[in-house]
Amino acid sequence: MTKAQTSSLRLRDVLSILFIISIGVAFSIYVVQYPQDRIVERFISYSKIINAILQHLYIVAISSALALLTSVPLGIILTRPRFKKYSTKVLTVVNIGQTIPSLAIVALFVGFLGIGSKTAILALWIYSLLPILNNTLVGILSVEPSVIEAARGMGMPTKRILYKIELPLALPIIIAGIRTAVTINIGTAILAAFVGGGGLGDLIISGNNVSRWQILMLGATLPALMAILADIVFGVVERRTII
Amino acid sequence: MIRFEKVVKKYNYQDKAAVDNLDLHINKGEICMLVGPSGCGKTTTMKMINKLIKATTGKIYINEMDIEKVDPIKLRLDIGYVIQDTGLFPHMTIAENIATVPMEKGWDRNKIRHRVDELLELMELDPEIYRDKKPKDLSGGQRQRVGVARALAADPPIMLMDEPFGALDPITRGKLQDEFLRLQEKIGKTIVFVTHDMDEAIKMGDKIAVMRDGKLVQFGTPNEILSNPADEFVSELIGGNGSLKIMNLIKCKDIMRSIPNIDVDNSVDEAMKLLLKLGVRNILVTDKGQGLLGYVNYDSLANHKATLKELLKPIGETVTPKTTLQDTLSKMFSLGRKTVFVSGSRGRVDGIITMDDLLKAVSDNDQSSDIIA
Repeated sequence: MTKAQTSSLRLRDVLSILFIISIGVAFSIYVVQYPQDRIVERFISYSKIINAILQHLYIVAISSALALLTSVPLGIILTRPRFKKYSTKVLTVVNIGQTIPSLAIVALFVGFLGIGSKTAILALWIYSLLPILNNTLVGILSVEPSVIEAARGMGMPTKRILYKIELPLALPIIIAGIRTAVTINIGTAILAAFVGGGGLGDLIISGNNVSRWQILMLGATLPALMAILADIVFGVVERRTII
Repeated sequence: MIRFEKVVKKYNYQDKAAVDNLDLHINKGEICMLVGPSGCGKTTTMKMINKLIKATTGKIYINEMDIEKVDPIKLRLDIGYVIQDTGLFPHMTIAENIATVPMEKGWDRNKIRHRVDELLELMELDPEIYRDKKPKDLSGGQRQRVGVARALAADPPIMLMDEPFGALDPITRGKLQDEFLRLQEKIGKTIVFVTHDMDEAIKMGDKIAVMRDGKLVQFGTPNEILSNPADEFVSELIGGNGSLKIMNLIKCKDIMRSIPNIDVDNSVDEAMKLLLKLGVRNILVTDKGQGLLGYVNYDSLANHKATLKELLKPIGETVTPKTTLQDTLSKMFSLGRKTVFVSGSRGRVDGIITMDDLLKAVSDNDQSSDIIA
């Protein structure tokens, strides 16, 4: 990629990020400044929206970070020669976890963790394991065998091959996995509201309860915009790590 | 330098040994070519030297030191390694790639930077242009050059090369082979070079080890192998035109004949007398003032009664003492002449080679290899 291309891409990304943020801000201002009626006015304020967003982000950040901290090391271990044979089995198990509907997972965890954001975080963690684990495996395994052979043949110790060769080369694919996980998590984190975990899902539930479309739409639109935003930001990071 | 003693490599999933009871001695400063069809055990043999593959039984010695007792990482840091796909690290710059082994060895930054530039220049790649490029910005031939530079970085005494030029087009391959031979004259490494291409083995090797089914079929100089193939298999590897390939091994200086000269002021009769006396067919004509003027030959002297000056023929294009007989032959074809002069430096003729000389050199070689040696 030439320099001109990267800079024009960056400009486009910055513009779309600004555009998405301004839609979210404009819609929030509209709802707060021109409430449909007194009920909406009572339910919505700037601080309430900001609180919900922060809560939402907190749940997503913690669960994604946990997924990252478990999936990447697990992926690395499963690509080592001694454990390679287990990689498909582990992937199958994680895959099955992914097929269970997210709401079911959240409900399941309420059973032994009770209600609160902890339950939501745990459910989301399990949910985002797969994309990161899968991409870590694929990323490391897709490094050219000749590159590894050359490194070994020249006398690089196995650990240094991992840090200096395998991980840097797998990085774009691992980041793509994180991108998928975070984007999905932002959407799924709405379910946290159903177990008392807070977040933007609260707005949907309240909006639904009081039958006010403005509140409901805000609760639905903001996570969607945040997901798109995360997708763009991680896309930029991913592109920058590609050689 | 490198010695295999009854080395066997058996893989668990195979009944037959990949390398079977191999004895091989590679001398210091020599290029030893391991040649044979796929699956003959040549790559396995090579990789046992730097312990990428562990021998099942038998011993391998480097400088009389049993490599089993050497730590593999330490061993590999002192053995250059070049592979067919170059194995360059795509996320690192050319300089970082070349610096791999010096970095592992903990060299000083300045020393590394110096060494990288020195190697790039040695490989005829301008450091200013290529230092900070990524491997993907280079052509296949350039990448392979960087691969060789990387292997040479810490100046290891031994180099292992696994079909390093195998993936290149014929023109680039030939060029890199020539370059590498020239380089080897300067650096004098002990090189183990794996190839399936007998022509490459003949061209590059000081010694050739022909392998089949894990066994060493024949070991010797290219000349010995071309003139005395051990069996059908080796003959087949050489191909039908072994004589032609021998022409690639012999240089003009090995067979050229010296040629007398005569001053241009002499008469034709005197020139004729000299020819008959020396038993040659050609004679150079010189002039005290202008040096070499040209030559005359027996036929022209016999048919004409003129002065030497009138009968003079120009020397024309020459070959050098280092030109191979094959190139000399093709020169003769392209010039449409049966004789060609050998000239080491401008304006001097060191000798002459005729078509008959070429025929004789090749046919002699078929019977015994001593003639050339």
